[in-house]
Amino acid sequence: MKIPTLSGYQVTLRPVGRDDIEQLRLWRNAEHVKQFMLSEENISVEQQIAWFKHIQRANNQWHFVIEYKQQKIGSCNIKTRGKAADIHTAKHFELGLYIGEQRYLGNIVAFAPTLLMNDFCFNNLQATALHAVIKAENASALRYNSKLGYSVVYDGKIVELSLSKADYEQSSAPLKSLLNRSPRR
Amino acid sequence: MSTQQKLTVAFVHALGITADKVSDDLTYNTIPEWDSTAHMILIAELEDAFDIMLDTDDIIDMSSVAEAKRILTKHNIEF
Repeated sequence: MKIPTLSGYQVTLRPVGRDDIEQLRLWRNAEHVKQFMLSEENISVEQQIAWFKHIQRANNQWHFVIEYKQQKIGSCNIKTRGKAADIHTAKHFELGLYIGEQRYLGNIVAFAPTLLMNDFCFNNLQATALHAVIKAENASALRYNSKLGYSVVYDGKIVELSLSKADYEQSSAPLKSLLNRSPRR
Repeated sequence: MSTQQKLTVAFVHALGITADKVSDDLTYNTIPEWDSTAHMILIAELEDAFDIMLDTDDIIDMSSVAEAKRILTKHNIEF
């Protein structure tokens, strides 16, 4: 099935295309991004091309480019969790996100892609729960996920978090109200 | 409380920093305390302190203390 383009909260998430992958590779290898990845190895051009071929065939993950005001600012993804092989039949998902454009690091707009993906997972894919896996030293990401309603289910060097629809709807309301306002008059 | 003091208190509460760090030069990406969650809290603090409602572009553009002042000035708040 064609991967959808999602728009809202001031951003657009569109499927990663061949023309995007070098920019994504440069961001993924940048220190401000890779320091919080589970694998901090640099990605080569060949590895990136192989990854792109893989995600074009895979049914268990969708990868997006995040655009704000028609400018690429990062990337995010939805993956099935557990044994589910198809994103349409899964009920548990793990989401990933990075902001590559440094101008938008530490900005509230970083919440927008996650709000869009969470809404889609809970409302369109009928997710039972969402999950996140974060390095314990990534305090910003832990605060970020806490703000979205995530609860810690395992606390170690790698922290695992889980989010129900009810907790998400309750926690995300203030964020949505800030990012859903009208553009500048 | 002066408008400058209100602004300083909002940054102190949102970012968890001391008042002496709140200067016009303070910009996000320059201190670890200013992350996306702190940014969200900052907007709520400023709206409460000055009884205003910012539009989303201004919320996203608020990238420094100086920029916060510029945006608040549009709401007839003087510094």
